[in-house]
Amino acid sequence: MARRKKPVKKFTRRMRAKLMVLFSGILFLLCVLIGRLMYIEHTDGDKYEKKVLSMQSYDSKIIPYQRGDIVDRNGTVLATSVAVYNVILDCSVMTSKEEYIQPTIDALVSCFPELDRAELEKYAKEEKDNRYIILAKKIPYNEVQPFVELQNEVDEKKNKVHPNINGVWFEKEYKRNYPYDSLAASVIGFTSSGDVGTIGLENYYNDVLNGVNGREYGYLNSDSAFEKTVIQAQDGNTLVCSLDANIQSIVEEKIAEFNKKYKNNYYKGKGSVNTAVVVMDPNSGEVLAMADYPGFDLNNPRDLSGLYSKKKVAKMSEDDQMNALNGLWQNYCVTATYEPGSVQKPFTVACGLDTGTINDKMTFDCDGHEKINGQTVSCVARQGHGVETIRTTLMDSCNDAIMQMTYKIGKENFSEYQSVFGFGQKTGIDLPGEANTSGLVYSLDDMKAIDLATNAFGQNYNCTMIQMASGFCSLINGGYYYQPHIVTKITDASGNTISTIEPKVVKQTVSERTSKKVKDYLQDVVSKGTGGTAKVDGYSMGGKTGTGEKQPRKQGKYLVSFMGFAPYDDPQVVIYCVVDEPNAADQAHSYFAQNISREILEEVLPYMNIYPDEKKTGRNKGLDVTGENAQYTGKNDGTKKRE
Amino acid sequence: MSGQKSREKKTTYFDYNLLFIIIFLMCFGLVMLYSSSSYTSANKYGDSAHYLKLQIRNILVGLVPMIILAKIDYRVWKKFGTLAYILSAFLCLIVMLPIPGLVRSSHGQARWLNLGPFSFQPSEFAKIAVILFLAMLIEKIPKQMGRLSGVLKVLIMIIPLVGVVAINNLSTAVIIFGIAVCMLFVASPKYAQFFIIALCGVALVVVGIVFAGYRSTRVGAWLHPETAGDAGFQTLQALYAIGSGKLFGKGLGQSLQKMGNVPEVQNDMIFSIICEELGLFGAVCVILLYVLLLWRMMVIANNAKDMYGALLVTGIMSHIAIQVILNIAVVTNTIPNTGVTLPFISYGGTSLVFLLAEIGLLLSVSKGIRLEEIEQVRND
Repeated sequence: MARRKKPVKKFTRRMRAKLMVLFSGILFLLCVLIGRLMYIEHTDGDKYEKKVLSMQSYDSKIIPYQRGDIVDRNGTVLATSVAVYNVILDCSVMTSKEEYIQPTIDALVSCFPELDRAELEKYAKEEKDNRYIILAKKIPYNEVQPFVELQNEVDEKKNKVHPNINGVWFEKEYKRNYPYDSLAASVIGFTSSGDVGTIGLENYYNDVLNGVNGREYGYLNSDSAFEKTVIQAQDGNTLVCSLDANIQSIVEEKIAEFNKKYKNNYYKGKGSVNTAVVVMDPNSGEVLAMADYPGFDLNNPRDLSGLYSKKKVAKMSEDDQMNALNGLWQNYCVTATYEPGSVQKPFTVACGLDTGTINDKMTFDCDGHEKINGQTVSCVARQGHGVETIRTTLMDSCNDAIMQMTYKIGKENFSEYQSVFGFGQKTGIDLPGEANTSGLVYSLDDMKAIDLATNAFGQNYNCTMIQMASGFCSLINGGYYYQPHIVTKITDASGNTISTIEPKVVKQTVSERTSKKVKDYLQDVVSKGTGGTAKVDGYSMGGKTGTGEKQPRKQGKYLVSFMGFAPYDDPQVVIYCVVDEPNAADQAHSYFAQNISREILEEVLPYMNIYPDEKKTGRNKGLDVTGENAQYTGKNDGTKKRE
Repeated sequence: MSGQKSREKKTTYFDYNLLFIIIFLMCFGLVMLYSSSSYTSANKYGDSAHYLKLQIRNILVGLVPMIILAKIDYRVWKKFGTLAYILSAFLCLIVMLPIPGLVRSSHGQARWLNLGPFSFQPSEFAKIAVILFLAMLIEKIPKQMGRLSGVLKVLIMIIPLVGVVAINNLSTAVIIFGIAVCMLFVASPKYAQFFIIALCGVALVVVGIVFAGYRSTRVGAWLHPETAGDAGFQTLQALYAIGSGKLFGKGLGQSLQKMGNVPEVQNDMIFSIICEELGLFGAVCVILLYVLLLWRMMVIANNAKDMYGALLVTGIMSHIAIQVILNIAVVTNTIPNTGVTLPFISYGGTSLVFLLAEIGLLLSVSKGIRLEEIEQVRND
């Protein structure tokens, strides 16, 4: 063992022992640190976790995006987001130097008169460490500006005039604003908490309208210098919709006028339970105006004072208030279903013509009622219209003749065509809450003779206004069924088009020949038949009236309507007006809807640059929205109670 | 003869356990580094893997000296102990001179030396230099270690280097001093005198804190991080990270605090993100990994062929232990904030390269172990 002879200095036993001691010491210290970690987590875990979560908005600032606008077809802004500012006081900055306190409070009080000096002084004394006190909320830009100017004011040498104003900053926020208050309220909808669309387009296109928040965050590097990174917010997209603010406001004005005139007319209460109008472009399915009554103010959607007295609102429970509001926010044109009444008749006729089961040469004898399997269904004219052709059937709105036509058409054809016209199906309009009527129409298997007969003149099945109007458009435009829609274009915040929604022909409902014939009959309905009240003097037009008796029957409650188009040769506009239970003794008259329609068209047609194409005859001259001649009866001054 | 040779070969030892722990620590470090730095580096450099790539480069660079040093017989370095000591002191002096092009400042202090494509911190070199120097010195005069005068003599020889480093970088000076004390503690048969030295050390640290301006605000931040404003920011953020991690953490990559809230997150504060993402459990696992590493080192020191090797290992062991303890202590706000990296995990080039060099030395020492001698020692 040669190595042993060489005197190699060894690591001694003593040294090993001491190394062991050193190792134990290290172990001990590490255990202490583990203990420390446990302590931090055990005692402060929850507190720190909250801190971490809250810090997401504490040390980093969210740059809010601007929600997109909603504009009408001419670019009129219907909904927009305006920047507002929250005034924030960082008390620890303000109180960090004694000389800051007074000038800052002075500036605050002088620029924001709603702030209370005593309160600010209390903050300065009692909440020194509070870095986030919201002094005022949602202050518009022009009211914030004086303070910012005061703070940044510089003299000739670029020195700040008021260097001691410190600790106040502004938090930008956006507030949804509707410049036309109640205009197209249930179509546009409103938002809750700024970016959650609650109803209408705001809801349907919520994601399109919303952008992405930006973030500005800073951190301290070890020089204690503040470094900032900014990720800009991505603003939301703008919706361009087919609505025309002018047409919309004409429509709403007329509806309001009608309901004002009929308020407390027969019984105490509103002029009608509901009044709704849809105006469409039949050549594209675009909705030009969509309005219902009662409306509400988009800038104050939770206000019920328009409907109820303050006392009554105060008495209502929260649920009742919510129910009332939900009712108010309903877009009647899309969400409500009802029995349409005689406006169905052109569809029945078109079905018969298109299938070749009926023709112009046929005549039908109206004796005032029809017996079907023992049930008697009566016509409007109890003593009968006499001999009717298809044309006169529509002109007189004869139920008996229509029922006789259905014998020829048969339920297979009728049922098929009803579905072709879109009844029982959703139209797919870009609005939320479209009613599903599939359970409210008869399927072929369920349809009995009496159902067929009553369906043919619009009773006993339900539809929505938008279904009816869209189907009607196809009936008079040559048979092209366009999907009804409101939004025509989506642009980004700087106005670049992102997508265009082109008119979409979904199907051909009837042949062009049928369409032409129906159009021709409908012209006579207005010029010589029951739709005369709706005639706008000087314009060729067509249309059909409807008087639907509401369930339960024989209560005298009716839903009356008028559906029309103009001009005759090349229809540019379709109007569909529904008045649900007009406030009159005798509700069963379509005059109510016809008068509104006429008043609307009288203004809308010239506005749309449609020129009179007929000689003026003085017809309907001087009538107002009530029809002036008081075609309604039984004026009661609102003393009768509503059932 | 041939039979004897093969027998000798069999009994040669190489500490694969240690190597494995090191490699595991570095890989784990890369994962945590990527997790913690991706957000800030993506924002700053547009590349989420910016720091990750640099660190991989650092590891590759560091493997070279490790392998070389592991191959070379460590006893060679006995001759270079004094030279290393003088060289490191010299470099630490140079780095304080404002020579443009040669000296690079970062974080407000001149700590980097530019050498061609590389830049490194001389203070990191000083740590290894002190280990080499002390191992050499103590091995020469083991008898004097029994006396207080001998211990003080050695300490006084260390003071110039510690002083030079301390001017610029107090935390490194504390580490160097700590290494020296630990090595002397092991070498000396006494205990009592080290209490005195420890007290002196504490006094020194306090004096250093009082004199260095920016560090005393760090003390304020240590005592009351909540109210210290900017100075307490980093500490407070780290505490938030630890506290919000709970027992099992938020999951890898789920840290919220790394999103620009904890400054220097990939560096000194990486342990706070480990706590946040992997929770107390993960943090204890990491600490246990270090304990395992230190234990392997103790085994190597105990079985080293000679006292020089054992002392080298002791020095390296104390170096790593001190850094781990200081780093975790800083992150948990147990001591005032000071920039100490977590070995093998934190981002940082110089520190990693020199650590790997030390591991090379360690492996070289482990190779010197002869198994049959261990048997003999046991049988003695």
